[in-house]
Amino acid sequence: MGLRHLIGVASGTAVLLGATAAVAQTKLTYMNWDPEQLEIEQSAIKEFEAANPGVEVEALAMPQKDYWPRLSALAAAGDLPDVFAMSSGFIQEWQASGQLADLSAYVGELDGDAYYSGAMDIARFGDGMYAFPQNWVAPVLYYNKTAFDAAGVPHPDADWTWDEFLEAAKALTTDSNGDGDPEQFGFWAYGRYAHIEPWIYRNGGQLLSDDRTQLAPDAAAIEALQFVTDLANVHGVAAQPQEMEGIRQQDVFPQGMAAMWVDGSWNINNVRKVAGDSFEWGIAQVPMGPSATADTARGYAWADMLAVAPNSEQSDLAWAFIQHMVGEGRSPSDFEAGKVPAYRAIAETDEWLERDEQPANKDVILNIGAQTTTTSFTPAWSKWRGYAATESGGMNGELDEVFNGRKTLDEAVAAFVEYGNGVLSQQ
Amino acid sequence: MESRRVTNYAYLFLIPALVGLLVFRLGPIAAAFGISFTNWNVIGVPEWVGFGNYLTMLQSGEFWFILQNTTVYALMYVPGVTVVGMGLAVLLNTGIRAAPFFRGLYFLPYITSTVAVTLTWRWIFSTRFGLLNNFLKWLGFTDPPAWLADPNWALIALATVSVWREAGFFMLLFLAGLQGIDPTLREAARVDGATRWQVFRYVTLPLLAPTTFFVIIIALVRSSQTFEVTFALTEGGPNQASTTLAFFIYQNAFIHFDMGYASALAYLLCILVGLATLVNFRLRRRWSYA
Repeated sequence: MGLRHLIGVASGTAVLLGATAAVAQTKLTYMNWDPEQLEIEQSAIKEFEAANPGVEVEALAMPQKDYWPRLSALAAAGDLPDVFAMSSGFIQEWQASGQLADLSAYVGELDGDAYYSGAMDIARFGDGMYAFPQNWVAPVLYYNKTAFDAAGVPHPDADWTWDEFLEAAKALTTDSNGDGDPEQFGFWAYGRYAHIEPWIYRNGGQLLSDDRTQLAPDAAAIEALQFVTDLANVHGVAAQPQEMEGIRQQDVFPQGMAAMWVDGSWNINNVRKVAGDSFEWGIAQVPMGPSATADTARGYAWADMLAVAPNSEQSDLAWAFIQHMVGEGRSPSDFEAGKVPAYRAIAETDEWLERDEQPANKDVILNIGAQTTTTSFTPAWSKWRGYAATESGGMNGELDEVFNGRKTLDEAVAAFVEYGNGVLSQQ
Repeated sequence: MESRRVTNYAYLFLIPALVGLLVFRLGPIAAAFGISFTNWNVIGVPEWVGFGNYLTMLQSGEFWFILQNTTVYALMYVPGVTVVGMGLAVLLNTGIRAAPFFRGLYFLPYITSTVAVTLTWRWIFSTRFGLLNNFLKWLGFTDPPAWLADPNWALIALATVSVWREAGFFMLLFLAGLQGIDPTLREAARVDGATRWQVFRYVTLPLLAPTTFFVIIIALVRSSQTFEVTFALTEGGPNQASTTLAFFIYQNAFIHFDMGYASALAYLLCILVGLATLVNFRLRRRWSYA
């Protein structure tokens, strides 16, 4: 390569560099765990870029199983995105590790009542606030209206008791060919947190000790666990989890294999997609247990949040982005069906309630958020609870043994309490 | 002079591979040794705990249970791929027609995407809607097992899929070994009146011993690395009944972010595989002439 040629290349590069500098862009990086959500958010992101000339948002989404390892690696490298999604399950550990910027100075300027307080409280530690709620979710009871009507069972209402639930489940379990293998079960559940904890909290029970450092399920919690596991083993109105092996758990209800199901409100989209027009369905709150009163029963709900990297060089811009993504400017269509916008004015609208879609009664979810809510999230929650690719372990694994009729509840409780306390004592 | 320059160039071209090896393999391996003495959640500051992780491991019932699973799995997988791989190779080596076709056929599972393979097997093993259970019901078994959700069957199901999937790879190794055996030896034995079985037992098998030894070592290492089929078929369930060490390491490292514990487990796995290989090398003298 001749000298003249080299100079040519070099000056060309310089021109290019100069051109780039002229339209100098501030890059704001943003990462979340829900590619579908990001798709919906694209227009809001464009709006933000238009309102902030020279700012480019570099957004990236990946499923949770990839998101957390990736985010952790970025944190270890000191290279976190400016804004990133944070879950209620992991915020304690991330806050304790110093990976979340304290947003309390920004939040102080806001009208706190404009947001759901339960969703806000999850991000508060001491005087600080380490993330900001984007939306919140809550497990609900899904029920197949068509099946209820066919069996002549009245739809669940706010006064439903566990006995009435059980009677309905019996009536809804149908074995028309008489092979002892029901084509439709009354209910579907396994040891998953979103399947089990709602029953515990609606019975006024607790899984954790008061200081939340130990597993100490109380009598009301045990009563709830007994009730739910008996549905499969004693009453035969719920399939044993092993019977459903090979079917995605979230498809059992929408495929009509069970007439009732308790899981997170975020499943609404999947039920819509899989069930299609094959039957009509609605949602209800999990019935209140015999040991609870209106004062002791708890809702189960938690927030998905946005956090800012502690070393972000543009935290003002990051905060502006968060406010843009969760606040006033958003519309209900920026959120997935089962995710309640944390900004009340967006959630409490007919447009979010979607009365012309199934379920027609999404206010059930809003109603749960208005109650006193609780969770059992602790550091190392995934380990003692059994979550994601470790769902077969911890409390989930032990409860499945009960559901499958291989262990008594006493044995399983003893095992998961001992295991869980071993895990928690190391935190 | 010229050859010296060539050597220098060789080093130059080796640099990318060496850098990769150092940065992405040896570096992490060395780092993991240090990390195994700490309590580290990746996002925080590592805390020195000495042999704490190793002690936790040895005192945990869960660890011994998973070690037992790992052993049972190896006892199914290693003989499985060895016997099936050797069997296929010997049959294909008899000069049957369409041998290349069958060779390709048996090798196919090994090169098919794990996702596709495991999706199919998931459907085969499905309790209510599975091909296998519907076939068994047709045969008259009224209550066939929940293959992937029954602690007595899950590990066996995983080993079956792995043997089916990987036997073809070991078949190729055996075929290479068989082709190195002078056919006149077998012909001589036949002329002396040996049956087919005797030829295999007293001529082929002993001469194949070096290949068999190599296969067993490789199979042992592969069995200790089992991850994909577990991840896709059972996620280690039910109640960890099909979790083996490699999957347990993954759970601790990338679900719980308990890197210290995961690193300690990884080093233990390394030591165990090393020991098993060593034992094999010792025993080899008894059964292999090469």
